[in-house]
Amino acid sequence: MKKKADVVVIGGGVNGCAIAYNLAKKGLDVALIEKKYLSSGATGCCGAGIRQQWSTKENVELAIKSVKIFEKLSDELKEDIEFRQGGYLIIIHNDKEMEQAKENVRMQKSLGLTVDILQPDQIIDIVSILDIKGMKAIGATFCPKDGHANPFKTTFAYAKAAKSFGASVYTHTKVTGIQTEKKSITEVNTDKGKIKTSIVVNSAGVWSKQIAEMVGITLPNKPYRKEIMATERLKPIFDAMVISFKDGIYFSQQKEGQIVGGIPIPEEISGYHTAPTVSFLEHMSKTLTSYAPCLKHVNLLRHWTGFYDVTPDARPILGEVEKLNGFIQCNGFSGHGFMLCPMVARILTDYIADNKSTQILEKLNLERFKGKNFDKEVYIVG
Amino acid sequence: MFGFEGDTIASALHAGEVKTFSTSLVYNNPRGFFCGIGKCSSCLMRVNDIPNVRTCIAPLKENIHVEIQNRLPDLPKASFEQIPIESLSFDVLTIGAGPAGLCAAIEAAQKGAQVLIVDENQKVGGQLIKQTHKFFGSKQEKAGTRGVDIAKELENELNILKSQGKINVMLDSTVIGYYESKKNHLFGVVKRNDYKSQFLEINCKAAIIAVGAMENMILFPNNDLPGVYGAGAVQTLMNVYGVKPGKNVLMIGAGNVGLIVAYQLLQSGINVDRVVEAAPRIGGYHVHAAKLRRCGVPIYTSHSIKEVVGKEKVEGAVIIKLDKNWQPISSSETIVDCDTVCLAVGLTPSTRILSQINAEMEIIPEAGGYVALHDESMQTSVKNIFVCGDSSGIEEASTAMIEGKIAGISSALSIGVTKDKENLLKYIDELKLLRAGPFGDKPRAAKKIINKLVKI
Ligand SMILES: Cc1cc2nc3c(=O)[nH]c(=O)nc-3n(C[C@H](O)[C@H](O)[C@H](O)COP(=O)(O)OP(=O)(O)OC[C@H]3O[C@@H](n4cnc5c(N)ncnc54)[C@H](O)[C@@H]3O)c2cc1C
Ligand SMILES: Cc1cc2nc3c(=O)[nH]c(=O)nc-3n(C[C@H](O)[C@H](O)[C@H](O)COP(=O)(O)OP(=O)(O)OC[C@H]3O[C@@H](n4cnc5c(N)ncnc54)[C@H](O)[C@@H]3O)c2cc1C
Repeated sequence: MKKKADVVVIGGGVNGCAIAYNLAKKGLDVALIEKKYLSSGATGCCGAGIRQQWSTKENVELAIKSVKIFEKLSDELKEDIEFRQGGYLIIIHNDKEMEQAKENVRMQKSLGLTVDILQPDQIIDIVSILDIKGMKAIGATFCPKDGHANPFKTTFAYAKAAKSFGASVYTHTKVTGIQTEKKSITEVNTDKGKIKTSIVVNSAGVWSKQIAEMVGITLPNKPYRKEIMATERLKPIFDAMVISFKDGIYFSQQKEGQIVGGIPIPEEISGYHTAPTVSFLEHMSKTLTSYAPCLKHVNLLRHWTGFYDVTPDARPILGEVEKLNGFIQCNGFSGHGFMLCPMVARILTDYIADNKSTQILEKLNLERFKGKNFDKEVYIVG
Repeated sequence: MFGFEGDTIASALHAGEVKTFSTSLVYNNPRGFFCGIGKCSSCLMRVNDIPNVRTCIAPLKENIHVEIQNRLPDLPKASFEQIPIESLSFDVLTIGAGPAGLCAAIEAAQKGAQVLIVDENQKVGGQLIKQTHKFFGSKQEKAGTRGVDIAKELENELNILKSQGKINVMLDSTVIGYYESKKNHLFGVVKRNDYKSQFLEINCKAAIIAVGAMENMILFPNNDLPGVYGAGAVQTLMNVYGVKPGKNVLMIGAGNVGLIVAYQLLQSGINVDRVVEAAPRIGGYHVHAAKLRRCGVPIYTSHSIKEVVGKEKVEGAVIIKLDKNWQPISSSETIVDCDTVCLAVGLTPSTRILSQINAEMEIIPEAGGYVALHDESMQTSVKNIFVCGDSSGIEEASTAMIEGKIAGISSALSIGVTKDKENLLKYIDELKLLRAGPFGDKPRAAKKIINKLVKI
């Protein structure tokens, strides 16, 4: 293991790998530490949907800019990450949701997004198997440029490209402590050795809270188990991701033919639970088949769990903390950290390498929770 | 087409010379079945408008409509019954009704536990029902008896306990998962009926995992052509369903399985061209090798298969000589005329349920791969989850049966339905004795590590 590095990135999920890549490309000496294997955290469990239709401005901006990067990412990283744009169809069930949708679409359009409100009969043109009555839909919003990428391939591609720019990636290595002197970081301790550094990126997903505790900083993040399933493979039926905020459901068909989707279970409480539940199976199959009755006969093939790292406003915590110089947060993604990673990594790299801050960083820093009033992201599924 | 009662869809198709069941996803290659025991997915077909039916374990029925599945299947069209999830409770759930699971279930029930045993096949017996040869191993564990007869004996014992209401048997059903539960252990079972599936939840105080093993595959061009089978598939076709897998067989692997299956092929009037073995010496018992040699079947050690030739099915194979380091020697190829290639290249323990339960796992090459660590009572690192038989490390039926008995008694002791430990110690000693011979070297070493590492 190397003795020192400009930056130590903790966590080999999509965010850690994307940051390591961007920093290394800028010429910084980077060490990435991952306790298991790359993508073993939330990244390897996720739906990997990429959506730009959000209710808060910062998320829309991050997502739009990320999609611009995703569109060229396979070329940039010289590795096919299977990015495709089938769109996101957000089902609207009642007048209140319609009001909110109109407002959000206005805001999203003002930021340059192509997005429309659809009438019930137009929904069927996008996804033919949907049942308007079964879903109790009165309309939908649709952005054709939303999409999906392969989370494993994206993570591995970032890591490989990072290494090609000289980053060191240590898997099966656990960060056990961070040494500080006054208000600065001096060293990161792992179970395989120590690395001297003054900058640490905390992109340890749902375990970021424990990393911050090592330096006496409390993050407000809470872990939530999230369940997700894949059906048996079928001929291509639809391209879009279908989601509903009222029912919490999301589902799409993958390139290989399986339908992948999730839904929260009503009785879920915060904690590091990992076992799947029968309740999810029941809830998911009932809701899914009310949306698409022709899926009634389809077998579920696999079912697994991962964690959402949830903050009080369901938005990520990004950037340097006040209490400790060089301690950079990149966590709290609250269930949508895959789609934002390309832009988040660039913003943080600009900050670390060039000391450039942005409005987004200022809005999404840890200190925002000191106040009582913060904008809450409400467009959450799963 | 027609078949016989008791056939599977796959065995009936084979008897009718239909050997292509589906085409592959990426290259659209023809696929036949490979494992024949419900583990792989190369036999998936569309039956009565239901896609992805595993035809190697699906029962043949009258007037069914079976279609080849090309690449990805269309949506199913069958009628759908909305059956609410049924919930059942037992003291002990035994998963798998091979020799290990049967012995475990019988012991646990005899000690007073209410037992459910689940198996995905139509019949109990696991791998035993296809073993027509007289068994090796210990007299107490029925050496000298044919595998299929051991299965019958165990089935009779099972039926007695069943008639006394002590054991419930659920066949044509697969345990598909382990779920969160406030108390006890919770499993999900899929029960098939007319090729449709129904989900049930099973609550139990203890569970015994006796799910056996999966056959290994080796890499060579065209290893997916119809006509390349695992040894279990060949045995199943020939000995359970009376269907000849082919006319001219190349056998890969000269361990006991390869030697025994080669001999059984000869007994069924099928030609065995030769047996090819990568190691410099024969791995199986001398008696089995000698029998083959007497019938004129050559055994080529330090040889392996290079590729299979053929378009729609196996039309021949190329074998190659290996050097001291197991590397192919160039220009040493020989073309073998055959229509069937049988792979008898070892087994890997089935452990997916165990890793889902979060039992501590470890790669132990001597045991065949990833296995759950367990103690002498066969308990894993998760309380009241027991493991036995091939799924706890590849061995043989005789040890599988004793491990099953140990797991059965231990589960009954652990949940408190009995206090009688007497037989437990007897079985543990028997197991040690069985592993004492020279062929016990590998399992003995494996079990030593497995036992040493476990922390309960
Ligand atoms: C079921 C589910 C569905 C989802 N669907 C979507 C979706 O459709 N779209 C989307 O954008 N997002 C989705 N998400 C969210 C997304 O998966 C996450 O936000 C994202 O993957 C976070 O990536 P990360 O790199 O920040 O964290 P992670 O992928 O969790 O990586 C953190 C890594 O840190 C490592 N680590 C932790 N502690 C230490 C330590 N002490 N030392 C060293 N390494 C350590 C972990 O092993 C882990 O690999 C979903 C999440 C789940 C669970
Ligand atoms: C050719 C050959 C010759 C052999 N000769 C001998 C010999 O002479 N002497 C000897 O001692 N041994 C012999 N063996 C080895 C012996 O057959 C096996 O070791 C033994 O059958 C293992 O028993 P088991 O109960 O662990 O597994 P199995 O017999 O494989 O039984 C496991 C059962 O579990 C079922 N199952 C698996 N997963 C699920 C699930 N999720 N839900 C429900 N059911 C499930 C399977 O369908 C199967 O019926 C031979 C093996 C072969 C292949």
